[in-house]
Amino acid sequence: MSRAILALLVCGVASAQDNPFRDSAEDIDVARGAFRIYCSPCHGIGAQGGRGPDLTLGVYTAGETDRDLYEVIADGVTGSEMPGYGERMNSDSIWRMVAYVRSVANPDTTPASGSADAGRRLYAENGCAGCHQVAGDGGRLGPELTRIGRSRSLDYLREALVAPDDEITAGYRTVEVITLAGEKIAGVEKSLTNFSAVLMDAGEKLHSFDRTELSSSERTTRSLMPSYEASLTGARLDDMLAYLRSLRGEKESE
Amino acid sequence: MKPFLCLLVVASALPAQISFDTLKDAQQDAGSWLGYGKNYAGWRHSALTQINRENVARLTPQWVYQTGSSGRLQATPLVHDGVMYLTGPSNTAFALDLKTGAEIWRYARKVPPGAQGCCSDPNRGFAMLGDRLFKVNFEGTLVALDSKTGREIWETEIADYRQGFSATNAPLIVKDMVITGIAGAEFGTRDFIDAYSAETGERVWRFWTIPEPGQPGGDTWEGDTWKRGGGSSWITGTYDPELNLVYWGTGNPGPDMDGDVRPGDNLYTCSVVALDADTGELRWHFQFTPHDVHDWDAVADPVLVDVMVDGKQTKAVIQANRNGFFYALDRVSGKFLFARPYTEISWADGIGMDGRPILIPGREPTEEGNEACPGLGGGHNWQATSFSPETGLYYFQTTDGCHIYYKTRQGYIEGQWYQGSTVSGVPHQPQTGSIVAIDPGNGDIRWRFEMVSTPSAGILSTGGKLVFSGDPQGYVFALDAESGEALWRFPAGGSVRGSPISYELEGKQYVATAAGGSMFVFGLPEE
Repeated sequence: MSRAILALLVCGVASAQDNPFRDSAEDIDVARGAFRIYCSPCHGIGAQGGRGPDLTLGVYTAGETDRDLYEVIADGVTGSEMPGYGERMNSDSIWRMVAYVRSVANPDTTPASGSADAGRRLYAENGCAGCHQVAGDGGRLGPELTRIGRSRSLDYLREALVAPDDEITAGYRTVEVITLAGEKIAGVEKSLTNFSAVLMDAGEKLHSFDRTELSSSERTTRSLMPSYEASLTGARLDDMLAYLRSLRGEKESE
Repeated sequence: MKPFLCLLVVASALPAQISFDTLKDAQQDAGSWLGYGKNYAGWRHSALTQINRENVARLTPQWVYQTGSSGRLQATPLVHDGVMYLTGPSNTAFALDLKTGAEIWRYARKVPPGAQGCCSDPNRGFAMLGDRLFKVNFEGTLVALDSKTGREIWETEIADYRQGFSATNAPLIVKDMVITGIAGAEFGTRDFIDAYSAETGERVWRFWTIPEPGQPGGDTWEGDTWKRGGGSSWITGTYDPELNLVYWGTGNPGPDMDGDVRPGDNLYTCSVVALDADTGELRWHFQFTPHDVHDWDAVADPVLVDVMVDGKQTKAVIQANRNGFFYALDRVSGKFLFARPYTEISWADGIGMDGRPILIPGREPTEEGNEACPGLGGGHNWQATSFSPETGLYYFQTTDGCHIYYKTRQGYIEGQWYQGSTVSGVPHQPQTGSIVAIDPGNGDIRWRFEMVSTPSAGILSTGGKLVFSGDPQGYVFALDAESGEALWRFPAGGSVRGSPISYELEGKQYVATAAGGSMFVFGLPEE
């Protein structure tokens, strides 16, 4: 009983306090070590994003206050891949991590120079919706873009358009198989095991094989996303970036 | 006369209790599985032949037991007298009826909040002596359970989890002692190997894997860095009854990747130590990776084999080390015999005659990141290995590929991560894996079963000339022990992280392995 009351008190204090480690370089450094261990597999070694959002942008989907960040780290984010670390990290460690996350924030205030409206038209003309969804509309082969303007920097988005092979988003790796009959099929890897292969082709059709039915099956370093390096240049590229930047999961951007 | 007869009947119905002699003869008892490595030498080989290369394609599940655990099983189950004893993650354990899979009892103990380890809270199995079972709990305790009820008989604290210690290994019984290791090197702990009385739980001896200043090896640490020196002992060792030596592998120094703060060889990390079983005194040691900065633990099974090395019959201890080399040592003296690479290696240009690696400069972790091969998990990590006396081959799995290693200066705070950084994948070079069959007399690779991703499971070899294992995508499979050809597979639907075993019940051979949170038992269909 007394333990329960104590826990509630501690909880109450924690929720009301400012982050005690906010300006402590030493504690931020400790958290940087922990970040590299716990968080970098998804958020990148420098918090620049990867499977998870780019944290250097200083934009947080699940709340902006220190307490919000604390709860995201402790409890995870429902409906996302972000797990909770409340059982693995004690309260001080989580507050240190909040301080570290704040310390790497360097908001990208560079305005997108292009026109988001023009970019929206380019998005439609180039058939991007064939593979990507925005607010429920579009294909399902590639990553959803509804909030991409919040979670990725302009530089990242530019690279993704002109050199998509350089970094393939986790979960969207390409697999190419050749059947015993000689048919070649490329698609997004849904499952590639020692004994089977399941992939989704550009038409969102699932193909499932026992690998004994295939003469070859391999992961490639090529993304199914085509490069727009030649077709989107200059102002057109800026327009597309402005549109992608405007996709922030908010109604007005839909 | 009648009461006496009655007593006799009761006595004959009692199962044979497991004694030290029973454990010494475990290899001859093909029907059971009484210890982590099956026998003291750690062979993990069942002599049973009923399931063999001709009929293994017909192997089918006989029963499945779902623990209900959200974590993945990593244990080697024990089998004795019609019962399977299985440990699960998060301080759980189960006794299952061997014929039906029915649960006889279940043990559960809440992991205290704040207990943490590097890699979730798995458990790798029981040890057994008399009618008692012994297991570690994650928060650093050792418990003795009544094998009939699962009731705790005693509990001993091995180490304080609040300082960063945790326990995951299966204990090893030697004589009347329970020997166990500990983990915590990622949290700046100073680690050890302990022996406890199986009867009372009192500690009999402790061997510190990190010596103090003034002790032999103490001069391989600078200042007080030994206090946070790591050297975890998180996988079960082996035992040679004739030499009365316990062989145990040790893990990385702390902090893992920032070696600048701990100049020196950092004994006895990344080593095999040979300890007097009665006293825990060090007889010899061999360090595979002096001053490790890549987290290349040497905890992998130190397997005991008698093999011809350079034309001479040799009592050897072998290990597929995480640093990418396969080693053979003289297990009497600790003398280095040879080492051969079994996967891609970029950090050393071989191993010298003195057993020390011939380092290639510039492969250490850096703040910006620096590539080295093998990756963080090896090579071969902790997953159980197998030696078949019938094929004369040693089987283990390996992760093939590299990592980018980062070094970060990190202050020490008791109980908190103290790894000094991490790794990331090399772009466009995903790691793959393989199962390797190696000649332990010279390190020649006889065959390699290529896998699309990093392996996860331990290995069993059998008298049916089969090798059983599994993969992280959930397949349990059997390979031809002489060629590596895949002969059977079953999609179990959960990552296979434990180690398969084989046993006999009512004249029929079974193969059992965990996948995900469930235990699968396979056998041949009735004719």
